[in-house]
Amino acid sequence: MLEVADVSTSYGKIEALKGVSLAAGKERITCLLGPNGAGKTTLMMTIAGILKPRRGSIRLAGEEIAGLPSARIVARGLALVPENRLVFPQMSVSDNLAAGAYQRRDAAVVAEDTERMYARFPRLKERRDQLAGTLSGGEQQMLAVARALMSRPRILLMDEPSLGLAPLVVGEVFRIIADLNRDGATILLVEQNAHMALKVAHHFYLMEQGRVTFSGEPGKLAEDEVIQRAYLGTRRAV
Amino acid sequence: MIDLIQNTFNGVMVGSSYALLALGFTLIFGTLHRLNLAYGPTIMAGAYLGTYAFLRLGIGALPVALLVVIGAVLAGLYVERLCFRPFGEGAAMASMISSFAVWMQIEEAATLVLPRHLYAFPPLVKGGPFEFGPFLVRPEHLVMLIVSAAAALIVHGVLNHTRLGLGIRTVIDQPRAAELVGVPVRRVMALAFALASAVGGLAGFLIAASEAQITPMFGMWATTKGLIAMMLGGLGSIPGALLGGLALGVVETHAQALFGPHIRDLIAWGLLFAVLALWPGGLLGWRRVVAAATVERRV
Repeated sequence: MLEVADVSTSYGKIEALKGVSLAAGKERITCLLGPNGAGKTTLMMTIAGILKPRRGSIRLAGEEIAGLPSARIVARGLALVPENRLVFPQMSVSDNLAAGAYQRRDAAVVAEDTERMYARFPRLKERRDQLAGTLSGGEQQMLAVARALMSRPRILLMDEPSLGLAPLVVGEVFRIIADLNRDGATILLVEQNAHMALKVAHHFYLMEQGRVTFSGEPGKLAEDEVIQRAYLGTRRAV
Repeated sequence: MIDLIQNTFNGVMVGSSYALLALGFTLIFGTLHRLNLAYGPTIMAGAYLGTYAFLRLGIGALPVALLVVIGAVLAGLYVERLCFRPFGEGAAMASMISSFAVWMQIEEAATLVLPRHLYAFPPLVKGGPFEFGPFLVRPEHLVMLIVSAAAALIVHGVLNHTRLGLGIRTVIDQPRAAELVGVPVRRVMALAFALASAVGGLAGFLIAASEAQITPMFGMWATTKGLIAMMLGGLGSIPGALLGGLALGVVETHAQALFGPHIRDLIAWGLLFAVLALWPGGLLGWRRVVAAATVERRV
């Protein structure tokens, strides 16, 4: 579904991504692990079109999307649930969902999809007229996911959905991810919580210092080492 | 007592045009998160275009109104293209200073075309004040109130019931997320700028027409009135802008009745100082400031 090949992104002179390649298969959960500063969020922002890659190719369902404006990328079927959720705090829950469908013109189907979101997330239905900024962290995360789904994405990117949430709520977020995938969603997930992520992922990549350094299936290799490297990075000989 | 009611009523009517000025200012500040000092001068550019056509062609108030709005929108888009689009949100200072440069540019250009200090502007309505019970009503102020209220309702409708309005609200609220859900942020910013300039142009027309005259000071006057009303109401809050404009009008009118016309602007600045010192964030802006602080803490 999504193929990233040799992508490099820089902030000024600092190269944050140094030729990253990975692929996210259709109807699978692909997980990207790695320590802080490895470039995971930079990669997500580059795929979503917020940052422009210096070189490399990003293909969505075979079509090149690298360098397109973010609005066009959303229209092509890619949605990102950003780090820290970034709901629209001064807008109601229902307006947040409407904003998620900004690129769509099929009002009737959008209305149906909104009802579908409320059925999947009853808490959002209860709070549909409430300002999103007044929701709890977990509810905001659900809203951010529902908002992204409102664009009917072919692939859903999620950046640290468990960040800053209580352990019980983290469990719920991962249950939602697994449910979405069971219903056919393709997901590329960035997570710090490697334990939980490896439970739902079909495939994972490990990123360190702007490069993909490891890739595999969960459970097949020494999980402890992957988790250790995801949190701490590889210890290098000086 | 009758004086008190009369002055309050006058204040609301005058304040309705301040509210409109502040509404335009707020739309720009809210979507771009940067201060546009050339806001008043863009309105003045429109007003001068209207005056010029009035003097040369002798057209009536309605076509002049249309010209003022068109002129303000064109000048607004010029400011957006020159001072805001080339710079990112991080370069707020560059935008502000270049908008100051464009302010001077517009003022100089306007005085080259119409060099005298005072020009006639088509009056809003013919006929003097009329009595309404014990009160005296100036018809031009009544028209100002009605047109301002209608314009505010139209802007409210655009913001809440159109796709562009949804886009503008997302950009005001959380620009990064607006980009992520597929709002073409730059285009929405330019359109918001055009809408704000149209609102400002309308306010400028109402004010100039109720005075039946215009001077080269109008640009600065509009920027300061709009700025004070916006700050009073709360930076970035649209209901706050309307409330701030009305409050400014009422306070000014009472001050003028009590202490004379020379004290009016001093009172306006004093009011701004008092609100900011006692109530940082303005009348309706405090919730926004608190919310922003909470988000920053979480990040």
